[in-house]
Amino acid sequence: MNFKKEYLDIARFAVERAKKAGAGGAAVSAEAYVNDTESIQVTVNARAVEQMSAVKEAGIGVRVLRDGKMAFGSTNDLSRDAVGGMVDGLVKKVVFHTADEFNIIPSKDDGALAADRLGYEDLGSYDPRVAEVPVQEKTQTALRMEAAGLGFSPKIAGSMMAVYQDGTSYVYLANSSGISGWFRQSGCGGGVEFTAAEGESRESGSFTKGVVKWADFDAEEVGRKAAENAVSMLGAKPIASAEMPMVVSPEIGTQIFSFIADMLSADSVQKGRSLFAEKVGTEVASKGFTLIDDGRLKGGMSTAPVDGEGVATQTTPLIVDGVLKTYLYDCYTARKGKAKSTGNHTRSGYGSAGGIGTTNLYLKPGDAAPEAIFAGIDRGFYLTVVLGLFAAIDAASGDFSIPSAGFMIEKGKKTNPVRGVTIGGNIFELLKAVDKVGNDLTWFQSLGSPTFSVSSVKIGGSGK
Amino acid sequence: MSKKKSMSRRSFIGKSAAGLSSVAFSSALMEMLLSSTGCKSGPGGASGVSDLILPEDVLAKAVSHLMAKGADFGDVYVERAAMDSVMSDDRKINTTTTIAKGVGLRAVKGGRTFYAYTGSFEPERVYETARYVADAAAAPASASAPSVITLSPLASGLSFPIKPMPSDLAVDQKIALFKTLSDRAWSADPRIVQAIQLLREIIRQVNIATSSGKIVKQTLGLTEFMAQTYVKGADGQLQAAMDQRGAYAGRDFFTGENAFEKVVDAAAAKAVKLLEAVDSPRGVFPVVLGPGMNGVLFHESCGHGMEGDLVFKGSNYKDQIGKQTAAKGVTLIDDGTIESYPGSYAFDDEATPSERTVLIEDGIQRNYLCDIIYGEKLKMKSTGNGRRQSFRYPPIPRMRNTFIEKGPIPAADIIAGTKRGIYVADVSGGGQVDVITGNFMMGVGEGYLIEKGKITKPIKGATISGMGIEAMKSIDLVGDDLKMFPSAGRCGKMQTAPVGFGMPTIRVRNILVGGKGEAWTDIEGGK
Repeated sequence: MNFKKEYLDIARFAVERAKKAGAGGAAVSAEAYVNDTESIQVTVNARAVEQMSAVKEAGIGVRVLRDGKMAFGSTNDLSRDAVGGMVDGLVKKVVFHTADEFNIIPSKDDGALAADRLGYEDLGSYDPRVAEVPVQEKTQTALRMEAAGLGFSPKIAGSMMAVYQDGTSYVYLANSSGISGWFRQSGCGGGVEFTAAEGESRESGSFTKGVVKWADFDAEEVGRKAAENAVSMLGAKPIASAEMPMVVSPEIGTQIFSFIADMLSADSVQKGRSLFAEKVGTEVASKGFTLIDDGRLKGGMSTAPVDGEGVATQTTPLIVDGVLKTYLYDCYTARKGKAKSTGNHTRSGYGSAGGIGTTNLYLKPGDAAPEAIFAGIDRGFYLTVVLGLFAAIDAASGDFSIPSAGFMIEKGKKTNPVRGVTIGGNIFELLKAVDKVGNDLTWFQSLGSPTFSVSSVKIGGSGK
Repeated sequence: MSKKKSMSRRSFIGKSAAGLSSVAFSSALMEMLLSSTGCKSGPGGASGVSDLILPEDVLAKAVSHLMAKGADFGDVYVERAAMDSVMSDDRKINTTTTIAKGVGLRAVKGGRTFYAYTGSFEPERVYETARYVADAAAAPASASAPSVITLSPLASGLSFPIKPMPSDLAVDQKIALFKTLSDRAWSADPRIVQAIQLLREIIRQVNIATSSGKIVKQTLGLTEFMAQTYVKGADGQLQAAMDQRGAYAGRDFFTGENAFEKVVDAAAAKAVKLLEAVDSPRGVFPVVLGPGMNGVLFHESCGHGMEGDLVFKGSNYKDQIGKQTAAKGVTLIDDGTIESYPGSYAFDDEATPSERTVLIEDGIQRNYLCDIIYGEKLKMKSTGNGRRQSFRYPPIPRMRNTFIEKGPIPAADIIAGTKRGIYVADVSGGGQVDVITGNFMMGVGEGYLIEKGKITKPIKGATISGMGIEAMKSIDLVGDDLKMFPSAGRCGKMQTAPVGFGMPTIRVRNILVGGKGEAWTDIEGGK
């Protein structure tokens, strides 16, 4: 994939067209976001290709602002006729929208960056190899990934899903404040789910991993870890309801933080949807808990020079030593909350007007080796699998009861696998109950967490 | 709202291909889209626009290219879609617009699928993409002579008129309607702190041409409405609830209990009720599921395991045909022919006619849900369940409208006969299933304690989880009050698909309930 000047031109054309369409009435500001993507997905099953899908698509999303009213539209027809027609339509209908004094198309004063001719700064978030490697090699990679798991143990009965996927994306931005530029990102990775069987016991185990650079993707590791996860759960049984300490694996940690991040969005807070409202400067987690969103992390999966509305990205400590420092802002919420954008306007493609989202989000690692965390627990639960986490936590109250699986911890050691239990509690109480944070920061795509422990959770189970 | 409904661990790399993540269009654009190739949105709704997007000879030639290197099967899927959404969030009403078009090309060789799409309708671009797919599918050194494909149109008695066409209502009228709905939501209770309403209207015009000589032309008009309300209690406690409806129909479908006003009122009423709710008890005990949308529980807990691709790969329903997979008296059906329901269509996305498929009959497994490919792999017939989200995806086996058939017992007797347990009115909390083990979970949106045969206090924070087949065998009472629910909650399995649900009141004798409340160890909840 390459830089295509015509896409920067069509973005600028859309902005100019909006200004022109509004001529004679109140001034129109506008922003255009063109996204050009390429992606390969290969699914394998039983050591053969099941499905190969190749995708190339480009489209444009346009925001127009007039009299404090904002409208958004998108299309994957990049002809001037189609884009011009869409923009004219947006300018016409925006008058019916609700005026909101905080609506904004960002300028330099709002933190927006204009790029030079070579585009925005390169932060190592792009590898040309991802698009260049021939599909045959990607197919072989998917097959090796599955084979590594199938060969891991005779107890592996088969794979349910083995997918290799990659994507390369070029973003072109232009707005009526004179901002324009482009940047690129890439990513590749895989996910596998295996079935393990022994006697009457059937268990599943999965693992996924995404990286920026082709050379960094270790397909065999993904296959082996998924298989190991499946085999280690064989013979899992429920335990009886009880309260006990819990150790959380990095993978589950990242899922929990992803949920918390939604509540740390300034939009949720300003609209009264978050229990973190009015908590800045107060203790919301235990002392050792530091949560950081870093849009400039070198080589991070979500690293970019600017966010979805052209504002420079930054490193944002959200919770430091248990104290809430800030929320995540885009330009709209920053204006409303008299704050500065943290560069967290996120778009999931040209078809999305965007909203607040995390970049690379992680829990800062502590000093404890994971073994030392286990060693301090006489009887506890090691959480490694959750089902339907987003459905199981009530975002409004923070209450959760999450169907889970994992292992018993007995006398400082991980022992028998456990399935068919729920862990219950409240997410805010859980954050305050974090007592040890490991030194093993592990990344899952753009979310990172070390192993950590919680002093006590309620476990609901049917076992004896 | 959407995140909570359809988070799927099967979609794992967010940043690759551009998705149609947010939607919409203006009526002017809709007109432009339809008229650009001479299609008019006539007053008859769907019939007026069911024409070919690309000429028949282009479709036939594209299929020939697909088949030129020895593929066993191939199809061309042409689609253009206009999507319009209106949303009121924080009392601000805005609309968004999306137009998308493309051609998806698939070749199948030896059970393997090769797929690519182009956003262009230019015949040369379509042929070029078809040749790329044919090359990818070609077995080494295999090449057969390109066959001439003759296409003949398929007709169906099923059609779901879109009344009115979204383009028949101007933007200002839509916004006025939303102003009324938004005011209604905010004024329902003084404790309301936030309210969201969202309407999505999607028109998809689709042509499918296959190497077996079929052509299907259909226009699908999907309308989805959702309302979510947040309330804050005197003690600072925050609660949220939602309600939703969806249908392959125009706005005229949304009357009576499906009216937008009813949905808005229900979201507010459920949220307010949660302020008085007690923490759900936890443990294993009887759960009575109310009729209608709770059918989603069976969609998750067993429907997925019966989808042909997952059966083939070893789901917990593999090799179960003719065996008992549910309690006697339990019949599970997947029906793609219910008028206007979100899982209904005349033809699936590979040109197979839709049908009503009996999956479990009186406790015995009778069938699975197949598309063409997995039907062949399982030596069964396609049941018309090959569905795709858009031209960007190849079809895979998906559910349609899945429901449990009614039984003989008056619903009131089921509650009266339960000494201790919970009553679930609405499992709107979302859910997930692991099809290998059959482990599933569902969050409970609206639930109550059952004490001495009576529904008493509302509960919060409950989840239900268990193993699909065990839960189905644990059903001991099936009510006579079957109710179908036209849902706007889309199912996510690599791609999203609109689905419907239904069920009568039933009781599951023993199931794991998670909650923050007391642990119930007494499982003698039944009669």
